[in-house]
Amino acid sequence: MVNNGVQLNGISFRIGEFAIEGLDLSIRDGEYFVLTGPNGAGKTILIKLITGLLQPAAGAIRIGGEPVTDLPPWERSIGYMPQDGVLFRNRSVRRNIRFGLEVRHESKRAISKVVERTAGMLGITHLLDRMPAGLSGGERQKVSLARALVLSPALLLLDEPLSAIDEDTRDGLCNELRAIQRKMGITTIHVSHNRRETELVADRIGVLTRGAIADIMEVDKKP
Amino acid sequence: MQSSSSPHGRGFDRLLAVPLAAYLLLIAGLIAGVFLTITRKAVVEAFSEPALLYAIKLSVVTSVVSALLSVAVAVPAGYVLSRHRFPGHFVADTILDLPIVLPPLVMGLCVLIFFNTAIGRWIDRGIVEEGLFVYQPLGIVLVQFIVGCAFAVRVIKAGFDSLDPRYEEVAMTLGATRGQAFRKVVLPNVVPSLVAGGVISWARIFGLFGPILLVCGTMRGRTEIMPTTIFLEVSIGRIEVALVVAACMILISLGTLTIFKRLGGKGYLW
Repeated sequence: MVNNGVQLNGISFRIGEFAIEGLDLSIRDGEYFVLTGPNGAGKTILIKLITGLLQPAAGAIRIGGEPVTDLPPWERSIGYMPQDGVLFRNRSVRRNIRFGLEVRHESKRAISKVVERTAGMLGITHLLDRMPAGLSGGERQKVSLARALVLSPALLLLDEPLSAIDEDTRDGLCNELRAIQRKMGITTIHVSHNRRETELVADRIGVLTRGAIADIMEVDKKP
Repeated sequence: MQSSSSPHGRGFDRLLAVPLAAYLLLIAGLIAGVFLTITRKAVVEAFSEPALLYAIKLSVVTSVVSALLSVAVAVPAGYVLSRHRFPGHFVADTILDLPIVLPPLVMGLCVLIFFNTAIGRWIDRGIVEEGLFVYQPLGIVLVQFIVGCAFAVRVIKAGFDSLDPRYEEVAMTLGATRGQAFRKVVLPNVVPSLVAGGVISWARIFGLFGPILLVCGTMRGRTEIMPTTIFLEVSIGRIEVALVVAACMILISLGTLTIFKRLGGKGYLW
């Protein structure tokens, strides 16, 4: 079976004193992969290399079987959810979610349909006409997730998406994230420091230390 | 007095408000003095002169054009300075401060010296024999732009500085090109700074006098603007007419500032 997930081959990147040298990583199609590791290990840099916001000095990146190393972020089929959501503060929740479809010049009717469906799936329909400033941390992250999901990306990148969320809300969001990922079958890379969060969502866990993958562990999921 | 702090210590807050009240009283008193001194006869006399009407028109048109030009240049310039560290960044940033720090008269002298060089003469008189800038209305726009643009860049750069670069990054991962991310995400989020930059540069430009006098002279009905009218009228002893022009400048400034403060919303400066 052809692996259409994500392949990183011989990725090298240097910024100041920090360096990634010849990193290889393969993430299976439809897999929920959690990337963990200490502060300064290079997790966010690795995510930015995959998004195309940073360019590797050497190596190749394939997403969904397609070589994307030389493609800009807007030509990669990715959904990116950064820490604390980064919602566009001048746009309502609805217009935040519509953003990616608008810049792709989708029809207004198609955009409305996808936005309503995704908002319904995440339980945020009642928030659509609100502005981001009035939302709670959990709501902001759900809107950010919806904004990424409406694009039906081949790869979902979550950079510490729940780090600003209180523990009680976090468990619920983890379960929702996992359920949505299973339902949509999107290959997902989730950066996290939190052990419980990692155990709740991961199929496999990769430990990044000083720019290198130190360990990869399968998570035994009970049925 | 409405206070956001606790009710305790209101006396101290009132004490802090005394200098504000004193300064407001001083400015308001000075402005009121101008309006109270103006006579009806002086108003009629001033507005019966076509030269004064021309000066008002020229002042408003040149200052608005220069402020718009300043913002048009300040947006890309401020963005580049805010988002990128390039070789010579410090030098560029320092040069940018020169028009702010230097007396405007020095900038005017620099412009005049430039137009006396071979390349300057070619630029000024290469296309039109009587010149494009020196002693010409277009020279007023050039001098105003040189002085005002630096103010616009400073304010607009501060707006870009305050906007998290992750907004653009997220926009690009959502499918927006670099240009779309700038147009649809960055610019709408710095509107108050754009308005503030335009207003600050306009405010600096509108009252500019010395360098315009040097580069463009004070030719009635040609390069005379409101500040030079005040200078000319005072120099020939027609104080009443000078006061009418000053009152016009105060009213135009107040009107413009009020409109732009409303447009800018809760922006960078206000």
